[in-house]
Amino acid sequence: MDLESNYEIARTASFIRSRNFTRVALQFPDELLKDSTRVARALRDKLRSSEDNASDKDIGLYVMADTAYGSCCVDEVGASHMTADCVIHYGHTCLSPTSTLPALFVFGKAPISVSDCAENLYNQVSTCAKPVMVLFGLEYAHAIHDIKAALDIESSRSQGSTSRLELYFADVICSVMTPSENSKPSNGNVGLDDGLSANQGSGNAIDTRYSIGGLSWILAEGHTIQEYLLYWVGADNAAFANAVLTFNGCEIVRYDAAENVLVTDVSHQRRILKRRYYLVEKAKDANIIGILVGTLGVAGYLHMIHQMKELITRAGKKAYTLVMGRPNPAKLANFPECDVFIYVSCAQTALLDSKEFLAPVITPFEAMLAFSRGSQWTGAYVMEFQSLMTSFPVEVKGQLEEARFSFLQGGYVEDFDSEEITEENGDGTLALVKATEKALRVVDNDHQLVTKGSAKSGAEYFAAHRSYHGLGIESNNSLPEPFLIEPTGIFGGVGWDG
Amino acid sequence: MVKFTADELRRIMDYKHNIRNMSVIAHVDHGKSTLTDSLVAAAGIIAQEVAGDVRMTDTRADEAERGITIKSTGISLYYEMTDESLKAFKGERNGNEYLINLIDSPGHVDFSSEVTAALRITDGALVVVDCVEGVCVQTETVLRQALGERIRPVLTVNKMDRCFLELQVDGEEAYQTFQRVIENANVIMATYEDPLLGDVMVYPEKGTVAFSAGLHGWAFTLTNFAKMYASKFGVDESKMMERLWGENYFDPATKKWTTKNSGSATCKRGFVQFCYEPIKQIINTCMNDQKDKLWPMLQKLGVTMKSDEKELMGKALMKRVMQTWLPASSALLEMMIFHLPSPSTAQRYRVENLYEGPLDDQYANAIRNCDPEGPLMLYVSKMIPASDKGRFFAFGRVFAGKVSTGLKVRIMGPNYVPGEKKDLYVKSVQRTVIWMGKKQETVEDVPCGNTVALVGLDQYITKNATLTNEKEVDAHPIRAMKFSVSPVVRVAVQCKVASDLPKLVEGLKRLAKSDPMVVCSIEESGEHIIAGAGELHLEICLKDLVDDFMGGAEIIKSDPVVSFRETVLEKSSRTVMSKSPNKHNRLYMEARPLEEGLAEAIDDGRIGPRDDPKVRSKILSEEFGWDKDLAKKIWCFGPETTGPNMVVDMCKGVQYLNEIKDSVVAGFQWASKEGALSEENMRGICFEVCDVVLHADAIHRGGGQVIPTARRVIYASQLTAKPRLLEPVYLVEIQAPEQALGGIYSVLNQKRGHVFEEMQRPGTPLYNIKAYLPVIESFGFSSTLRAATSGQAFPQCVFDHWDMMMSDPLEAGSQAAILVSDIRKRKGLKEQMTPLSEYEDKL
Repeated sequence: MDLESNYEIARTASFIRSRNFTRVALQFPDELLKDSTRVARALRDKLRSSEDNASDKDIGLYVMADTAYGSCCVDEVGASHMTADCVIHYGHTCLSPTSTLPALFVFGKAPISVSDCAENLYNQVSTCAKPVMVLFGLEYAHAIHDIKAALDIESSRSQGSTSRLELYFADVICSVMTPSENSKPSNGNVGLDDGLSANQGSGNAIDTRYSIGGLSWILAEGHTIQEYLLYWVGADNAAFANAVLTFNGCEIVRYDAAENVLVTDVSHQRRILKRRYYLVEKAKDANIIGILVGTLGVAGYLHMIHQMKELITRAGKKAYTLVMGRPNPAKLANFPECDVFIYVSCAQTALLDSKEFLAPVITPFEAMLAFSRGSQWTGAYVMEFQSLMTSFPVEVKGQLEEARFSFLQGGYVEDFDSEEITEENGDGTLALVKATEKALRVVDNDHQLVTKGSAKSGAEYFAAHRSYHGLGIESNNSLPEPFLIEPTGIFGGVGWDG
Repeated sequence: MVKFTADELRRIMDYKHNIRNMSVIAHVDHGKSTLTDSLVAAAGIIAQEVAGDVRMTDTRADEAERGITIKSTGISLYYEMTDESLKAFKGERNGNEYLINLIDSPGHVDFSSEVTAALRITDGALVVVDCVEGVCVQTETVLRQALGERIRPVLTVNKMDRCFLELQVDGEEAYQTFQRVIENANVIMATYEDPLLGDVMVYPEKGTVAFSAGLHGWAFTLTNFAKMYASKFGVDESKMMERLWGENYFDPATKKWTTKNSGSATCKRGFVQFCYEPIKQIINTCMNDQKDKLWPMLQKLGVTMKSDEKELMGKALMKRVMQTWLPASSALLEMMIFHLPSPSTAQRYRVENLYEGPLDDQYANAIRNCDPEGPLMLYVSKMIPASDKGRFFAFGRVFAGKVSTGLKVRIMGPNYVPGEKKDLYVKSVQRTVIWMGKKQETVEDVPCGNTVALVGLDQYITKNATLTNEKEVDAHPIRAMKFSVSPVVRVAVQCKVASDLPKLVEGLKRLAKSDPMVVCSIEESGEHIIAGAGELHLEICLKDLVDDFMGGAEIIKSDPVVSFRETVLEKSSRTVMSKSPNKHNRLYMEARPLEEGLAEAIDDGRIGPRDDPKVRSKILSEEFGWDKDLAKKIWCFGPETTGPNMVVDMCKGVQYLNEIKDSVVAGFQWASKEGALSEENMRGICFEVCDVVLHADAIHRGGGQVIPTARRVIYASQLTAKPRLLEPVYLVEIQAPEQALGGIYSVLNQKRGHVFEEMQRPGTPLYNIKAYLPVIESFGFSSTLRAATSGQAFPQCVFDHWDMMMSDPLEAGSQAAILVSDIRKRKGLKEQMTPLSEYEDKL
């Protein structure tokens, strides 16, 4: 396929021209970097050629590569380094909303055999009792129209089945994103909580709108997505994993366009869900939590980080915010104090699970499950944190609350501070007495905390768990050395010869 | 049955000298529950208003169905002694009324944890031994456990009826059997020399051994007979008792006592002459319905029968006669009252076993003196499901002070550390409850020395806890119980409907509470795991979970799985090296197996991270041949900082070494929890840090660089030291008649078991077989064995040790390699092991 159409040069040029952008950042993922110069050149030629009438000044095109976080998100920080006023994003994307810059997404056009796919899909629809919802990787968006057409032919050819095919297609939300529309998180275009989302003002308040990874569709009244068979066209990548986890109650099959085969076994993905459940349970035992900033672009990330901090403080735990680019085991191991990390990032880079990490890395949704009392793992799963912001759980603090049961330790474990709060609430008159009592208590210096999870802050962890405290801190004598008067004068004053 | 009101019962609870807390312990099927029943029938306390319509014995349907006890159940007995019989009693007492809190415990080895929980809250133990089968493996286990807790034992030789009716042995032979049983028990007890507890061995001539027939409800001690004969011979009772046991012979012809059998036909051992023969005679007369002979004999013994009882025939008559003549309750209860300690006596020496804190603080003193006015010290040893589904009573023993309804208590959980807030709650007791038979009665308070059930604390106590008054911030907890079995058999459960998960979570939580041993946990893969001591234990737990704790939600359970351990066979073939991610640091390490017995010593806590390094190095150098200096260079134990693996520093003169120590330790804790083969725990491996090359700049040798590297180099050294799998092995004891031996051997062979001891029980046709059996093969072992021996063999399996599987897991296609790939598949790992080259770097 030629460069021109694959990279949608004409559409890009008209986008730039129509909005009068002057400094444009072209963001390439690593695997497309090899085409970057040719794309830039082609784009420039295109812009020049159509620049007959207007402004004399040239439009600046900048190629950006090596994106700091996932290359699926728009690198707004990178773009602002060259004061770009728009970003053209190439390749695979999560279509997460941007916060400051408008962006145009060029999905690319992955090769697909339309006829094979249509035939396969037709077979699937005609054999399956459930209605079928077709979802696809964005790189196949270009072919969906053709597939629809091919299917029409297919169904008209085989007139055996008189019933209408129960087949629905998801739509791509948009390929242009302007931050003004979705800067406010409250009406972010992706709302999804337990499968239900606020209606997008279409008038019919009962229709349910679903959206995931840049796709969206509307189900008619009274239908839930669980009744559908999801048919995914595309590769087994992060976008697919995202879909499987979010719609874990649905039956999902995947059509692999590269190999022309239908994959029905998604047990690997299901296993991931169970594994996430374990991580949530593990996170419940944590006392020191690191919040990893995994994006600087996705709209509302700051809000999310604040929300996480608040959640953690309310749960009586200690949070540290860490900015470290894309996390890897070596980086995270520099913070052995943290029992768990929360990775705030776009939906498709959110799942960081590797045996290599010393401490588990969880998503904000999982953190909410883990750190708000009384919330239960029901199987519903949310990947995109924008949808979490609206559904911040209201904490109910019952008076007679059961202590938390930890399955990792096989017993009741109370979290430190909820205990303290109840104690202080008890009798205010004694609060001062208790405070002084606490202050006067001798802390045993030699006492070594045994378990890792018992430290309440990084400093405490450091004091209790590390045997190496740097040089010179070991000395127990914190008082200043006594003042000594140096011997003065010549040797006579020293006194050892007299 | 004794009909009581709660107030009357509460009144006796104040007489701390007149309380006996005791458990009934024995091997499975030696007749504990039957014997208990006969005691309860005579002296059990029930609430006045429900008298007549309660049955003490059937607590659980499945217990009745299987014919075994599963949960230990407590019952209070009331016994009033006559002044005459108390004459000989030397100890302190408060009148003649006695309250006996008795706990019947299960005999099956899978439920040993119930026994442990029962022993903790009692001071004495009635050891029941089948006179034919003798002292069995579980008898020994529970007896050792009792003595370890400083529980004073008394013995009853049970199933006497078998001697008379089934085996029809003559007096001398029977005596020899009994003597052997007592001797065997004493052999075990003799190893527990304890100056505070004194002599714990049992002697018939001292009245600490009873002879009973639980099924028929009669029992006697030599005291009974001594009383009868003392006046006749004109000697005092104690003298008479001595004559009734041991090498004392009586010849009625000459009316002389001798210490040797004179050889004359009429000369018989005292026991035979005066105890065994009369009983035999009575039984035979009854069985043969020779009523004309029977009545005069009974009259002579001072036994009067009711007229309707005189109509009885055969066995029923015999039962009735024996019960009237030698009632089990009075013989056994008097033995307990005389020879088992009251709480105030027992706590004097038990305080050392019980209290973790300093033995001279006020809490220790309160326990020692069993002081009802002292600070509250209460140990909750188990949780009992209440009729209200999902709620539990916290059942325990008050060791000091009083616990009352509405009292605010400090709950110190098993992980509580004095001075910290971990595992500590302050909550109010909603109600204090005592059991009146099957009915619970609320009382205002319960003083020390008694058992009690508390309502309203179950949401803060998992299995056990120490309770004290709210203000007693300095109190240390009471020592945790040590179990003799470990949860080695595991099964994964999940719900049929995914959205039932909250129900499953709730159910598992309750299950964890309801049983002292079961462990409910979650695997790395997100599966919920239930671990128990054996197949039967798991079966019961799963049944409880489904029937009682899940609210009707259905579950799917996996096949039972066994956890393995990873170890090494030899020292690493070479020193392996790994480089840090930035390539600026290098760690050199070697792995070697720990010396034999060292891993076990670490398990037992004889060697551990909190030892004094000097003591540790002494043990290591003297027992395990370590170099004295080396023993001081142990960096850590793992996994969980206490496990049976270690890292030892063998470096010489390396710069910055102490700086990376923490990082290496962190890497080791991580790696030793998930070995390189199949991510099972490691066991018995010593990692030697041979050399370390570090970057001069501190920022380049931080945790981020060293922790992953330490993990890699540990894996590399494990893989180069001939890694092997360890599998858990049961010790199986089977008792069966000779004709069943063939079947037993063939089943054992088929299950990879091997017999190491086969012994005929002297005087019986029974054989005792001891064998080792891999736990993984034990599933279905019981039923296969029953089938192969037509129900004559019943195995008792208890986890014994870890056994190395000799096949090489690195060799493709070997048995161990298949096992490894199965485990990896189950855990959702890559089926292929990560190759050594991933872990080891070249210079």
